[in-house]
Amino acid sequence: MLHARYADGHVAEVHDVACLLDGTELVIRDAATSADLDRWATTDVFPIPGRRDELRVGVSGRPYGARLVFAGGDDVSAAHQMMPALAHRHRENRGREMRALGLATMALVSVVVAYIYGVPLLARNFVSLVPAEWEEKLGTTAVAQIEGLLRQEAGFEVCDPDLDSLANRAIARFAERVVEGSGSPFTPDIKVIRTTVPNAFALPGGHSFYFSALLDQTHSPDEFAGVMAHELGHVVHRHGMEQLISTSATGLLIGFVLGDMTGLSVAGGIGATLVDSSFSRDAEREADRFAADAAKRLGFRSAGLVDLLERVAGDNEMSAALALLNTHPLTAERRTSLEALAVPDASATPPFTPAEWAAIKSMCGSTSTPSNAPAGGSGTRLDGTAKNG
Amino acid sequence: MVTPTQGSFDAVAMAADTSGGTARVEFTGTRRQLFGLLLRGYLLMLPTAGIYRFWVTTWKRRFYWQNTVIDGDALEYTGEAMQLLIGFLFAVAFFLPLYLVLFYLSTQAPEIIGFGYMIIGIVFWFMLGYAQYRARDFRLSRTLWRGIRFDQRGNAWAYALRRFLWSLLVLATLGLAFPLMATSLWRYRYNNSWYGDRQFRWTGTWKTIAGPFYLSYFAAGAGIVAALFVAESVPAISIEGVPLPGPAAQLAFLGAALFAGLMWFYFRSRETSRMFSEVWIGEARATVRVRGRSLLGQHLAYGLSVLVAAIVFALIALAVVAAAEGGTASVVIVDLTRSVQSSWIVLVGLILGYLVVFGTLGLLGEVFLGCGYWMLVARGATIANVESLRTVRAAGEDRALVGEGLADALNVGAY
Repeated sequence: MLHARYADGHVAEVHDVACLLDGTELVIRDAATSADLDRWATTDVFPIPGRRDELRVGVSGRPYGARLVFAGGDDVSAAHQMMPALAHRHRENRGREMRALGLATMALVSVVVAYIYGVPLLARNFVSLVPAEWEEKLGTTAVAQIEGLLRQEAGFEVCDPDLDSLANRAIARFAERVVEGSGSPFTPDIKVIRTTVPNAFALPGGHSFYFSALLDQTHSPDEFAGVMAHELGHVVHRHGMEQLISTSATGLLIGFVLGDMTGLSVAGGIGATLVDSSFSRDAEREADRFAADAAKRLGFRSAGLVDLLERVAGDNEMSAALALLNTHPLTAERRTSLEALAVPDASATPPFTPAEWAAIKSMCGSTSTPSNAPAGGSGTRLDGTAKNG
Repeated sequence: MVTPTQGSFDAVAMAADTSGGTARVEFTGTRRQLFGLLLRGYLLMLPTAGIYRFWVTTWKRRFYWQNTVIDGDALEYTGEAMQLLIGFLFAVAFFLPLYLVLFYLSTQAPEIIGFGYMIIGIVFWFMLGYAQYRARDFRLSRTLWRGIRFDQRGNAWAYALRRFLWSLLVLATLGLAFPLMATSLWRYRYNNSWYGDRQFRWTGTWKTIAGPFYLSYFAAGAGIVAALFVAESVPAISIEGVPLPGPAAQLAFLGAALFAGLMWFYFRSRETSRMFSEVWIGEARATVRVRGRSLLGQHLAYGLSVLVAAIVFALIALAVVAAAEGGTASVVIVDLTRSVQSSWIVLVGLILGYLVVFGTLGLLGEVFLGCGYWMLVARGATIANVESLRTVRAAGEDRALVGEGLADALNVGAY
């Protein structure tokens, strides 16, 4: 005789019952009236998670809510002895849960891995499907945003707005020759901007900017040409658009892992940055290769890009440690690959005549902008495909 | 041991008496148990890339349900983790097109982007109501008491629309319409809740919480106005060219904020007590009494636990730095930072640190605030005429509900 609480699953009434074994059946007998309330086949019972020192038992073939509840260590172990199927079912359920959990985890991990390696591929292939007009619109938006951002802090004023000046004509001719034969749907539009941040960057749709603070630190036409060719590489390869696609795709992935599909959590932000940064470092290498090819064709020294970069930012321990978080390959690494790639063609003419270079250097008035802007830090990153906001 | 003192024979005799029996609600779980359960769950989330969260939720609910004992019988949660996992996958299907729209928008002009984000924000706000209702449906239809299942009927879309329109009115009236919204939503939720074949009722009106709400609303408002008045009358100070209110005014603002906080606890406790006390199941009626100071005590305990955790983490960080700086270790570290692997070490450190900090905050929040609130409501509750529930019969099987889907994906909390 074993005491329990019993509900039949039909009516919200709980009976105090005594349970006894009759062959393979469990007889449930009302403690007060001694009437048999039900008989459960001991092979059909299953355990239900309950409190410690409490055993809840359900049974198939009865209403879902039919329950026997045993309480207290002695009664619980006695009930287990009466119904060995419980332990068996418990193990079975546990095994099934573990398998499901294992499968789900494996599935998710493989999705994550596929994503990390697949996002660049996906973005690269998808970008060719995006109409060029979209990207141009996106570029216009980005220009407006960056202008708004810089106008407050560092200033944003086009140097030498006369498109027919010697400097502007030289830059336009150079850009045209760089993108020649690349099949890019965009017309390069390069502007030199008077601002205190030493930077240069390309936006989607062909807009590129060279800031006066960087121009002040640019010592040779090779350096200038190297940076411009690198930026035009971003334009030709549509890296801005790629970045946008990859960011959107990454948001989805992070949502999967964290369960926060709104992407509003801090973890989401960090995760997205990590995945995207490795992606954009590939883009940097691609732009470097483009610049090296252009250097070979047009006859300038592509490693000038790295000279300038080192002068502005320089490698230090911190940036080396954070290289993975940074969107840019280390300058040492870049120098090696650029010099390996580019051996200038002997027959090529230099990209700028001395007169043109002098005109470009003085576009913003050579001493008009103090070059004491802080080195390092997020605002001084030399170049970068602008992320769209 | 089950004590047969409140056996069914007494109950049957009392069932004839319509005023029969006032039941107490007990909560038999402890914070320590919940802490252990969550800690284990959080640790298992690491090797499973977060998938284990569905299991953690299921365990947590079992803990709350099975420790809530009404008139001697515990609730039972019958939901399973796999159901939540599948529901989540369904929710992802809802988000995919939204992602495409967001992507398209980001290629457009600024005005269109702004407008588009606004539209999507509104869609989210609307869907939140839908998600909350469906989540409640999932939980209720997986709750058993005395072998009978609860259920949520009604229409989740209708609820979402109601909530959406009311929230616009609340916004337009600077919150003054809140009692109207709250009572309307409670009424819809409970009037569509069922225990077996018996329907819940909710008998409150906006007056149920109007007193405490407007009292705390205007009292907190008056405090802020008073602080502004003080700030006007004392001379401002200037730090590095930035004008700041003087010390007296800062003190006044601090006082006003503290006072507003106290009013919040006062209102929240009255709201909980009064709203739950309007819930009926057929002829049985719930009464809940939650004190403002108990609620305040819980939040203080939570704040204290966060402080202790912060101190512990700070000490660990100091110890690590000290160990790293000792002896030749620094040379090794400098060398490491030069290698590419070091950035992985930094990275893993960042991620782990992040997980530990937010995991701890979530854990303490659940243990002190989530569990605390549940305990307060459960222990403060009684159910009058509980004997009338003995004649409730099971209703038909519920349609198959797939997980909580959206609620999960939209991060709708609540147990």
